[in-house]
Amino acid sequence: MKKDSKQHIQQRATEPFVPTEGQQEQISTHAEGQSGNSVLRQHAEQQFAEELEELARADRQQRPPNWRLSPWAVRTYLLGGRLPNGFQVSPKYIGNARLIEIAISTLATDRALLLYGLPGTAKSWVSEHLAAAISGDSTLLIQGTAGTDESALRYGWNYARLLVEGPSPAALVASPLMTAMQTGKLARIEELTRISSEVQDTLITILSEKTLPIPELNREVQARKGFNVIATANNRDKGVNDLSSALMRRFNTVVLPLPQDIEEEVRIVERRVADLGQVLELPAEKPALEEIRRVVTIFRELREGKTLDGSLKLKIPSGTLSTAEAISVINNGLALAAYYGDGTLRAGDLAAGLTGAIVKDPVQDRIVWLEYLQTVMKERRSWQDLYRACREVV
Amino acid sequence: MCFHFFGIRHHGPGCARSLCLALKELAPDLLLVEGPADAQEIVPLLNNPQMSPPVALIIYRKDQPRQASYYPLAVFSPEWQALRYALQHNIPTRFIDLPLALRLDSREPEEEAKEEAADPCSPSEEEPEAFEEIADDPLSLLSLAAGYQDHELWWEQQIEQRRNVQGIFEGLREAMRVLRGGRTPRHREEAQREAHMRQMLRQARSEGFQRIAVVCGAWHLPALEDLDAFSEVDDRALLQSLKPVSVVATWIPWSNDRLTYASGYGAGIAAPGWYELLWSAPAQAGIRWLIRAAELLRQEGFDVSSASVIEAVRLAEALAALRDVSAPGLAELQEAIQSVFCRGETAPMQLIEERLVTGSRMGKVPPETPVVPLQHDLEQQQRLLRLKPSTEFKELELDLRNETDRARSRLLHRLRLLGIPWGEPLAVAASKRGTFHECWKLQWQHEFVLLLIEANVWGNTLESAATSFAIREAEHCQELARLTELLDQVLLAQLPSAVAGLLDQIHARAALASDVRHLMDALPALARVARYGDVRGSDTQQVQTVVEAFFARILIALPSACLVPDEEAARELLASIQRLDSSILALADEEMYTAWCSLLERLSETEGLHPLLRGSFCRLLLDRQVLETARLSRLAHQQLSPAVSLEEAALWLEGLLAGRGQRLLAIDELWQALDGWLQELTAEQFLPLLPLLRRAFRGFSSAERRAMGEKVRYLYRPRPEQASSSAADLDEKRASLVLPILSQLLEVTLHAD
Repeated sequence: MKKDSKQHIQQRATEPFVPTEGQQEQISTHAEGQSGNSVLRQHAEQQFAEELEELARADRQQRPPNWRLSPWAVRTYLLGGRLPNGFQVSPKYIGNARLIEIAISTLATDRALLLYGLPGTAKSWVSEHLAAAISGDSTLLIQGTAGTDESALRYGWNYARLLVEGPSPAALVASPLMTAMQTGKLARIEELTRISSEVQDTLITILSEKTLPIPELNREVQARKGFNVIATANNRDKGVNDLSSALMRRFNTVVLPLPQDIEEEVRIVERRVADLGQVLELPAEKPALEEIRRVVTIFRELREGKTLDGSLKLKIPSGTLSTAEAISVINNGLALAAYYGDGTLRAGDLAAGLTGAIVKDPVQDRIVWLEYLQTVMKERRSWQDLYRACREVV
Repeated sequence: MCFHFFGIRHHGPGCARSLCLALKELAPDLLLVEGPADAQEIVPLLNNPQMSPPVALIIYRKDQPRQASYYPLAVFSPEWQALRYALQHNIPTRFIDLPLALRLDSREPEEEAKEEAADPCSPSEEEPEAFEEIADDPLSLLSLAAGYQDHELWWEQQIEQRRNVQGIFEGLREAMRVLRGGRTPRHREEAQREAHMRQMLRQARSEGFQRIAVVCGAWHLPALEDLDAFSEVDDRALLQSLKPVSVVATWIPWSNDRLTYASGYGAGIAAPGWYELLWSAPAQAGIRWLIRAAELLRQEGFDVSSASVIEAVRLAEALAALRDVSAPGLAELQEAIQSVFCRGETAPMQLIEERLVTGSRMGKVPPETPVVPLQHDLEQQQRLLRLKPSTEFKELELDLRNETDRARSRLLHRLRLLGIPWGEPLAVAASKRGTFHECWKLQWQHEFVLLLIEANVWGNTLESAATSFAIREAEHCQELARLTELLDQVLLAQLPSAVAGLLDQIHARAALASDVRHLMDALPALARVARYGDVRGSDTQQVQTVVEAFFARILIALPSACLVPDEEAARELLASIQRLDSSILALADEEMYTAWCSLLERLSETEGLHPLLRGSFCRLLLDRQVLETARLSRLAHQQLSPAVSLEEAALWLEGLLAGRGQRLLAIDELWQALDGWLQELTAEQFLPLLPLLRRAFRGFSSAERRAMGEKVRYLYRPRPEQASSSAADLDEKRASLVLPILSQLLEVTLHAD
């Protein structure tokens, strides 16, 4: 085992990426990323290259075939911790450690992993870091859209070559998924539910047979050990293509939850609002923490269907009410306050944004929102300004 | 060394298995168990084939059944297994703990609830009333030392899931000895209990037994092992001061959910269902668990294939490996179920939590078990209230203004709530209608005794049993109307402590109710309680709050609920609205009334609502005298104008006219509009409309119909009052003839002219 891991490290040092065709560009980016900081956003394996290296060096435990790190080291990478030599690994995911353990175990049993959850619950972030830690490569990525077609999942053709040479391996353009199969790495599919159902079903064979037939060449690609798929999907969005149960059966699902308590969420909103405010150069004052807390409280209460103190149940509106939307309500209010108000965020600036974020369905959501106003907000003495402002809007 | 000590913890399959093996190996000639000595007599019942765990040993004061202690036993309890073993091998068995008869006396009756939670039979590590930190929870100290946050998890992994049971008891004894050190018992009662146990041990030794197995809480081991380190004289002195009270010991059926922590049982366990499985199939527990979960989910309509089960097993095993445990525990299995079977959703997990982790197993006890406390309580009350159970029909009339009768009614209502219909309420005779009369049909049936034994699960007295039963019912009940009905029953049975819980449930359900009709149908029962309270004098303030919340929700949701698709739905909704209306009238709350009227007014003018509803809203307003005549006639003209389809007009009319006719007679404008409308109909239009119109008038009595006919006949004639006021038509001569008689009758003097 020991010898093995050493070999692995050597391999890593001399040959950081398996040089497949599509990744030449990737390697150059990597070099640039190390020399200067000219890229806007680095890949996880670049940004945390040192941590990954230290982990690999300290890792003495058994690795599944083709994994760069053992499951235990992957867990340390994601959740943070101190290595025996004193090296500090920063936490990538703050929250329920058991969920990360389930995700890693799933990948170790070569079942595909589906990260499910509301927008803004760090699904893509977790998937990127898992791929970086396990395969040392988070770039085998397919972004799911309504326009994603089968060739994005399987393979396409270089038509010039196809015309000249006829079907040949050289004319084949591999998809990231195919590359991952060939190299025994993790492929990531973002927003799986946005891909149309017919195309989604392409995955069924790949996930159950672990092969990708290429009838044109009369051959197939068999996945090497270490290949697996991490998909992410959104469970509240409308207008998406639900996964067929055949596909669903091939995934283990981990639902990433919303921030656990209100304080955590308030912190996230506050930080993001401050960041965005800088980018947009809003002249308004920094919002009072109190206003943020009120908005977050409303969002949490409606989302969970009960008041924070648990004393009253509430109806749940049809909208997502994600943290991201709370951020945009505050931002919206800030802009209103800056351009049309006195520069300070007040209840009146929030009311329209709040109502717009909550009432997505003009009949049902309106009832929900009105009930909330009448039964919850009205009773909170210090909320009267917001109550009146909202009543005016509704 | 004649003593062999087995330190255990309650309700652990691993402990039980180890104990069984150890006993088989030892083949003791005497078994001593840490259980109250006064239950000695009923131990043999354990071997009765009709006894099926979970059951509980209960010991209660004869004069006050409220004061009681429970000792629940499940099939995987070490004591259960030890006792069964001894009984089957004819080994004498003794309970060595301090008799409850000596302990109950020192307790205050108010402590009853607490006492129930703190099971005195449990090893001391779980007794909540500890002084010191270590004694508070020695296990957590051990588990923290082992690097676990959750001591329950540590225990499960170290003890309960262990397949290799060698040396468990030695290890535990070692650990407890170190933990307890040289500490003296934490309080007097513990000292007394340990002294009593030592005395029993000494006695057994002096009787010459050779291989004595002692099964007790691990915590007590250090105090028992070195028997000769304690002086016999001291022990006797410690016990001397105690005075016995008279107690009864018996077995009652227990249920899995009352074995859990959540039920408030101090020595409870988190997962009785899981432990049961660990006991019955230790080697395959994980796989069997997943298969059970898959079966349960299939019954509930999830599709869970065998392939999924295989994947779940693999995931659970990988998780166990990642967490460095030898076999997947409950946590890993549950996570695998959620991730593979339930697609990450939490809702189905609740089902599994309820049906598998806790399990629904109910114990049984043989009929020859001594009288249970609930029975005892009932007999006491029957004597007190002079209500003799008899298998013959008997009618009983109660006047609730009188104390005894009120208590009788309360007793009968409580029994009914518990599903023991000794009395069936009868309709009160019309002459005695009123809130203070109640009529009952009494008939005692023999199977009620069995029902009582079963109902003892809920509590020791009728009051506590009915209370916990009602609360539990409420938690499992989905329908709002059933909940309010339950509230009614609870108020009748005078169970104040159940009321608050019930109201909370009602409140919560109301918030989630998507159909406003459910709310409206539930309100009348609540309103009745809020308005009239009842003669029993229960507190109705809480109910008032709930009524107000209900009303607020109804006001918000009613407008959109009125957009009904067809006539049938409209009629159903109308019935609910009318019931609601009369409750609002009965409540006589000014604010509510005004809000209701203004909503009705708004709705009566809203285009697009079903005409029947609009019509009846007008009618409701009319009855409240809120609708001005001018507005009504405007509305009537509008509704009956030619652009409106005939059916719609007829339905509107029906809504308006239904009910009693008196008030309508006074409104000329309405009749004029109606008449005008009818006049304009052609014969072809009139004929198909006739049945609709007949239906509109069907509800009136014949007298009312006649009055209406007259009304229409003279509609365009001048009114009689108008006639009398115009002097022109008066025949002065003839009129003056009646004046003298009239003056005599009215005793007024006639003016000379």
